[in-house]
Amino acid sequence: MRRTTYTVIGVLVLCVMLFPVYWMVNASLQPSGNTLTAGFLPLHPTFSGYARALDEQGGNLVTSMIIAAGTVVLSLAIATPCAYALSQFRSRWVSIGLLAILISQMIPGIVIANALYTAYERIGLLNSIPGLIVANCSSGIPFAILILRSFMLSLPPSLVEAARVDGAGLFRAFVAIVLPISKNSLITAGLFSFLFSWSDFLFALTLTTKGGVRPVTLGIYQYLGTQVQNWNAVMATAVLSAIPAIVLLVAAQKYIAAGAIGGAVK
Amino acid sequence: MGMVTLTRTTVAGREKVRGRRHRGESLTKVLFVLPAAVAMVALFGYPVVKNLLMSLQDYGLKTFFTGAAPWVGLKNYSTVVTDKLFSDAMLNTALFTVGSIAFQFAIGLGLALFFHKKFPLSGVLRSLLLLPWLLPLIVSSATWRSILEQDNGILNRTLLKLHLIGDPVPWLNSPSVALIAVIGVNIWIGIPFNVTLLYSGLAEIPDELYEAGQLDGATGWRSFWYITWPNLRAVASVLLMLGVVYTIKVLDIILGLTGGGPANATQTLATQSYEKSFIDFKFGQGAALSNILIAISFVFAIFYLRGTRRAVDE
Amino acid sequence: MISKRIAAALAGATTVSLLLVACGDNGGGQSSASGDSVKSLTVLDYYNNDPDKSLVQKGLDSCASQLGITIQRETVPGDTLIQKVLQQASSKTLPDVLMLDNPDVQQIAATGALAPLNDMGLSGDGVIKGMVDATSYDGKLYGLAPVTNTIALFYNKDMLAEAGVQPPKTWEELKAAAKKLTKPGRYGMAFNANATYEGSWQFLPAMWTNGGDETDLTSPQVAEALQLWVDLVKSGSASKSVINWTQGDVKDQFVAGKAAMMINGPWQIPALQKTPNVKWDVVTFPLNKPDQTPVAPLGGEAWTVPLNKDQAKQQKAGDFVKCLNSDENELAWAKARFTIPTKTALLDQYVKEVPSMKAFTEQVKTARARTGKLGDKWPDAAKVIYQAIQLALTGKASAQDAFKQASGG
Repeated sequence: MRRTTYTVIGVLVLCVMLFPVYWMVNASLQPSGNTLTAGFLPLHPTFSGYARALDEQGGNLVTSMIIAAGTVVLSLAIATPCAYALSQFRSRWVSIGLLAILISQMIPGIVIANALYTAYERIGLLNSIPGLIVANCSSGIPFAILILRSFMLSLPPSLVEAARVDGAGLFRAFVAIVLPISKNSLITAGLFSFLFSWSDFLFALTLTTKGGVRPVTLGIYQYLGTQVQNWNAVMATAVLSAIPAIVLLVAAQKYIAAGAIGGAVK
Repeated sequence: MGMVTLTRTTVAGREKVRGRRHRGESLTKVLFVLPAAVAMVALFGYPVVKNLLMSLQDYGLKTFFTGAAPWVGLKNYSTVVTDKLFSDAMLNTALFTVGSIAFQFAIGLGLALFFHKKFPLSGVLRSLLLLPWLLPLIVSSATWRSILEQDNGILNRTLLKLHLIGDPVPWLNSPSVALIAVIGVNIWIGIPFNVTLLYSGLAEIPDELYEAGQLDGATGWRSFWYITWPNLRAVASVLLMLGVVYTIKVLDIILGLTGGGPANATQTLATQSYEKSFIDFKFGQGAALSNILIAISFVFAIFYLRGTRRAVDE
Repeated sequence: MISKRIAAALAGATTVSLLLVACGDNGGGQSSASGDSVKSLTVLDYYNNDPDKSLVQKGLDSCASQLGITIQRETVPGDTLIQKVLQQASSKTLPDVLMLDNPDVQQIAATGALAPLNDMGLSGDGVIKGMVDATSYDGKLYGLAPVTNTIALFYNKDMLAEAGVQPPKTWEELKAAAKKLTKPGRYGMAFNANATYEGSWQFLPAMWTNGGDETDLTSPQVAEALQLWVDLVKSGSASKSVINWTQGDVKDQFVAGKAAMMINGPWQIPALQKTPNVKWDVVTFPLNKPDQTPVAPLGGEAWTVPLNKDQAKQQKAGDFVKCLNSDENELAWAKARFTIPTKTALLDQYVKEVPSMKAFTEQVKTARARTGKLGDKWPDAAKVIYQAIQLALTGKASAQDAFKQASGG
């Protein structure tokens, strides 16, 4: 098949998969966010939702960005050495460590959020960006460890041994050899840490008590009250907040190159 | 004996380390794991222990205010297991999990293989697939509710126009169809996750392997079975493992679409746990249910660990 | 071998977490200061979006300046309020003034967290009896709600005129009108019957008007009320989707012209005003038999005062709640927010100034509180109600058997 045929198929697949996203954009252009009378195309678009969203949510977007970026950095920094250890070191503690990490993924988020609230309240980390970064790392770190480890399992130990024979310490070998080779998995793990943090609502709600620090997932709720819901502003905010994030994602994915390990073994 | 000649630029500290290589090395190894271990204990230690204790207590609204939670042992567990909704919730959880994962993984793998072929825009298209993950769940479930609406939803309208169905399908209104609808939405949410991870795994497999295989006549299906799959196994198994763990505790999608209804047709153990804790305020029972969920995930985790340990030893 | 290591790991984790718990008890360190040194009060409510958010803020600010204090206000999304309250309760950081939805007041009062308002110089005199019942527990007053709302029957004036139908006054008329008004692309009637307390709330007018009571849900009057819902859906006059709709969805249907009548409350009026081409009016809930009176549930939120170590702050909070319930504030909020004052003396004046709220005000005069009879046991009954509705509307049980099944019979 010609290359461009694949592209066409790819676009069709995307259309099917992303139809709900399109529908959401459609709703954001309806006057009341009411899609009951909406056709396939928004023939009489109104941008009032976008005007409100831009006006009111800009700061929240920046907050979300900072928190997400912080989560990625902190999660990867902590998870990568640990993932390497759990994949290459031989020890009976490896199974225990893995089991503990897996169990942590089974805990309902709300249990963690409540526990963190009590702790943060005492140490004064409520309403703070570092506090939210640490909280989001509770989703980022275990996941990153598991994913990175599964990639690092296929790392030939001979690579690192070669570096150590040349005189490098364990940590130096790790930084110089392992990290560059693991670029693909680092980006993937970082990507999901970003996504978990970006879409987090539970910690944002639980760990803030005033309006000062407010990620965009929480900001959306100012359009969803007990009695009145303003769906077109909600949808507009969701669309707007997706844009900078998708730009980052496209950029990050370009770095996932093929066959990084193959060259190094030679 | 394999020792390289020291140059003058060698840092003095390194000489010391090399002298005591073994002891220093153990310390370094521990330091690799220490930050993560501290983080895990700090973030998860207290909640895990508290959840366990709570399931053995009569923890109600009053407890939050007075701190009093009488010990009831395993009574919460026996109450939730004999609840009339428990067996339905168990069955629904099993169907939901198996149904979601089977299709998410299969479709994810198919799409990953598809995007692995190099064609123009493949990178951009692949990234755009992650768009659903950028939307808050409340927006996704509201959008899907609108799409699946029996009378006016765009899905039924389209299917009717294309004459694929005669009557509007009661996606969220019929107890028999609702679970399928909810599984469908969950599959939609899970596909980008599967595609991205599997694609990364595929990208790791060196082209040389395929080239060498081609020389031996392994193309198409055989190249997948003998080259792709064995190299993908590590990523695939962690993906399936996490898939089970995450799917079993899915809550927001089900609550957003059907609230557990209609007539409890989409109640799972996770929604029941939430309901018992945050609607009935019987936190002890809610904790008991979530511990049962954890136990089920635990069983899968053991299988995963056995499989992955064998892989390391190979 | 592994089990020893697991035990060691668990022990380590437990120790660390116990240390965390022990080390941190500098708790809610408010001193029992005295005198007029109260400078500010913390307030928690769930009016987290406009227009309500700023309208309520106006009332809060006005009372704050009257008392010479400042307010620190926290607002949360509606269905997360109780969670927040519980988190704050366990960390002993409850606000000085707490807003609660009226059916929750008795449950929270039963935990001993709230201070009785009578001791602080407030009373329920002159307030609608149903509301006082809702916000009292064990004979003491724990909350006061300045404004209330209820639900009644909205109808689309143009659609009814076009079909030559009068706004229904009885259940038979309702069913007939709904049937006549149903055309392809639109239903005669819309209401919310979803599997939440909202669904139970919307069922109450039918149940109470027919003489049914929450203390005996298996009585024939309650079954008759459920039969009304079943008849409307079965005859096709109401969409099957009612079992999934929220009150907001019902409003969306009405506004989009997909429903000719709906049961809803006055808080939807601002949204209705945004679509001026839908001309609507309201009547009280129809009767089953001619000697009945329409009885609807009382909505609205009450302001309470959690127990406070600082007695001066607690008293100030009590004064604050008293101010929020003054005639002046009640009328201000009622007029701006499409809600109804709870002081019976103000009702006539209110209707004069806001004639569009006439039907709702009539309804409020005979309305009942959900927790009036069952107190903190109401949520159990509410759950039985919505489970029964779901069973009946999905055809899993007849209206006669649904309540028996739902009660666990």
